Amino acid sequence: MTVVACLKWLTPHDADDRFGGISPADSSALEWALRLGAARNEQVLAVAVGPAAADTALRDALACGAHRAIRVDSADELSSNDVAAAIAGAIDGLDVSFVCCGDYSLDRGTGSVPAFLAAQIGARQALGLIEIVLGNEVIALRRLDGGRRERLRVDAPAVLSVEGATATLRRASLSGALAARTAPIDVLAGPVGSHLPTARRPYRPRARVLPPPQGETLDRVRSLLSGGTATKSHGVPVELEPEEAADRIIAALDEWGYS
Amino acid sequence: MTAFRTDWGSISFDDRMSTSEFRIHERAHIVVDGDACRGCSTQECVVACPARLFVPTSDGGVLFNYEQCFECGTCYLVCNTEGAISWNYPEGGHGIVFHQT
Amino acid sequence: MDFDAIVVGAGPAGSCAALELARAGKSVLLIERGPFPGSKNMYGGVVYPRILDELVPQWWEEAPIQRWVTRRSTMIMTPTQALTIDFRSQNWAAPPYNGATAYRPDFDHWLAGKATDAGAQLLCSTVVTGVLRDAAGAVIGVRTDRPDGDLTAKVVIACDGVNSFIAKEVGLYGKVDAANYTLGVKETLALPKEVIDERFGVRGREGVDFEVVGCTEGVNGGGFLYTNLDTVSLGVVLKLPRLAAQKKRPEEIIASFKKHPAIAPLIEGADLKEYSAHVIPEAGYKMLPKLVGPGLLVAGDAAALCLAAGIWLEGMNFAMASGMYAGRAAAQAVTRGNTGPDGLKPYLEMLNSSFVLKDHRKLQHIPHLVLSDRVQNQYPAFVANIVERMFRVDNPAPKPGLRRIVREERKRAGIRWRDLLSDGWTGMKGFS
Repeated sequence: MTVVACLKWLTPHDADDRFGGISPADSSALEWALRLGAARNEQVLAVAVGPAAADTALRDALACGAHRAIRVDSADELSSNDVAAAIAGAIDGLDVSFVCCGDYSLDRGTGSVPAFLAAQIGARQALGLIEIVLGNEVIALRRLDGGRRERLRVDAPAVLSVEGATATLRRASLSGALAARTAPIDVLAGPVGSHLPTARRPYRPRARVLPPPQGETLDRVRSLLSGGTATKSHGVPVELEPEEAADRIIAALDEWGYS
Repeated sequence: MTAFRTDWGSISFDDRMSTSEFRIHERAHIVVDGDACRGCSTQECVVACPARLFVPTSDGGVLFNYEQCFECGTCYLVCNTEGAISWNYPEGGHGIVFHQT
Repeated sequence: MDFDAIVVGAGPAGSCAALELARAGKSVLLIERGPFPGSKNMYGGVVYPRILDELVPQWWEEAPIQRWVTRRSTMIMTPTQALTIDFRSQNWAAPPYNGATAYRPDFDHWLAGKATDAGAQLLCSTVVTGVLRDAAGAVIGVRTDRPDGDLTAKVVIACDGVNSFIAKEVGLYGKVDAANYTLGVKETLALPKEVIDERFGVRGREGVDFEVVGCTEGVNGGGFLYTNLDTVSLGVVLKLPRLAAQKKRPEEIIASFKKHPAIAPLIEGADLKEYSAHVIPEAGYKMLPKLVGPGLLVAGDAAALCLAAGIWLEGMNFAMASGMYAGRAAAQAVTRGNTGPDGLKPYLEMLNSSFVLKDHRKLQHIPHLVLSDRVQNQYPAFVANIVERMFRVDNPAPKPGLRRIVREERKRAGIRWRDLLSDGWTGMKGFS
């Protein structure tokens, strides 16, 4: 069986590959993949979807102990779904136990690739993990809202995404680092698919539509001055089947202006 | 006097340091022996470090940072107190990364 | 042995050493502590790559340079005055060129690429923490900061920069004296190319190099300003013990330099793009360490091969040349199978018969003179006041004779004839 580590290489906007890198979360994911591989006595495969510069990250992974590296060649920005499809294609046919991903990339993504990937390869998912305990079984600690935690037992096959501080990537040995400089990296043709627009702008929260204030003058003024919080409901607990729950969530998002 | 703007020095020190890239490692590559510094009246490192990594404390000691270090070596070269500053390079691949220098 | 040679540090010295060894067919590993060659490097001026003619013919067609220096200005400054000797030559605007400005992360990266193209192996992100020695004390390899990090080689070439922990560990330096070092701090300031061309009177790839004395607020040192394509680099070089003693912060000295009426218009509206600092071995010949140890050669800043002699401010050319000779000598020693002190001795002969040590020996008293208190604090005002009085129209008073001006200004500046003559003699002797 194989443990997979997914790495996203990014280069700063106006700089070249010398200044590129992977996120701390991806580094942690690689470390967890190496630990899982060692604990389960499985091969570790590092996968990146990106341009040739991403080989740097893959070579670092090989230096640290990954057995094999695959790069899906792509110079374009791809949607999360396309990236997940590219990774799924690269590991298709392998007997994959765990896939480790960082829960965010250096360009402040949404962390959605792991979820798409789990869906595409039909694996379980445990996302946004803050701790993994390796024993006879894999126990993952997950952050929930309000400071609560969720403890999951994760059986293979599964996609895990981890936060950056969960593990420090080991230092590559000298022999590993020397060997990795010329180690082969399998390069696969990139996906042909929808490309995201490449216009960049500073990060800011998405605007959402608020309903016009209603009621007496004073209530309307209060509602306007509160920035929408005065009329905000605190949610209604419902018990629904998964399909219905998904529809209900989408309806609520529409209602709140996120569609 | 000159009609040209002369406020170029007014950039804050934090802004100045933020123009340089530092890939910070968790291990401090500078270590300062606080006891040795309390006996030092000159504290050259405080003045000379181009990154202002050394800060005098009220009890006569020296507080130090290592994160935004240019790795130049000024601190241990100017230090008059034998053994007060131990200094080596940060782990390979970490520390200052210059772009247009 | 793992390698014929290990070169520590992929700066200009290390890359030239590795290039020379690889071309001689030796197995060579070039170890760099930064994530890529050049990532730890900055400098305060101009690179004179003439020595590359030997290593990379037509280097100017591919080297990542910013501008070719065609204007060279030396400026003597007081808080209100500036005397500039400004020279330009279009002969330096065409091959084979003379000096160039470049970003070190670009230039050093390119030069290391030449070494790897020739067959040298490059290992980045790896710090050499010490040397391995045999029972007799000869260097037989290096220890790195990686797990299982020992490597052996027939020769180790230390090009590990101004702090050279290797040269110090092997005992090639005597007691390290802070007075032999200066701190260089620099700002890279962004301006549109057209604005730079207009303000500095240059076109295309032509560039300017200003060297300034008297701009460092009484801390012995100097200032510099030179043009890149769409940035200017401005900074000061400060003698370490003085900087610490005078309680002036480096960035404050830069700020006052930038406010000078002769400088402010040149950089008006420029935004700080990058701040950087580095130590410079600036005492010249008298601070040179032993350059050869058992199984070890030292080159570049690690060997303190750097010349701050007023008119000449050079370092990278000495680094590239000493690295090249070190690589050449090491390759010959490996071929002969004698990497002991005798076998490596030809390195010294090569340095002695080339500009590397000839220049250092010839100009051995100049760095001290340039950084002396009189040159730093008394002569700038003395000279500027003489020139000011020569050009001043004092009607109805008649024009004073030059002799009288010099006499009066010398008195006013408090300079003794004895010192003036002795400094003049040192300078004449050194430069002639």
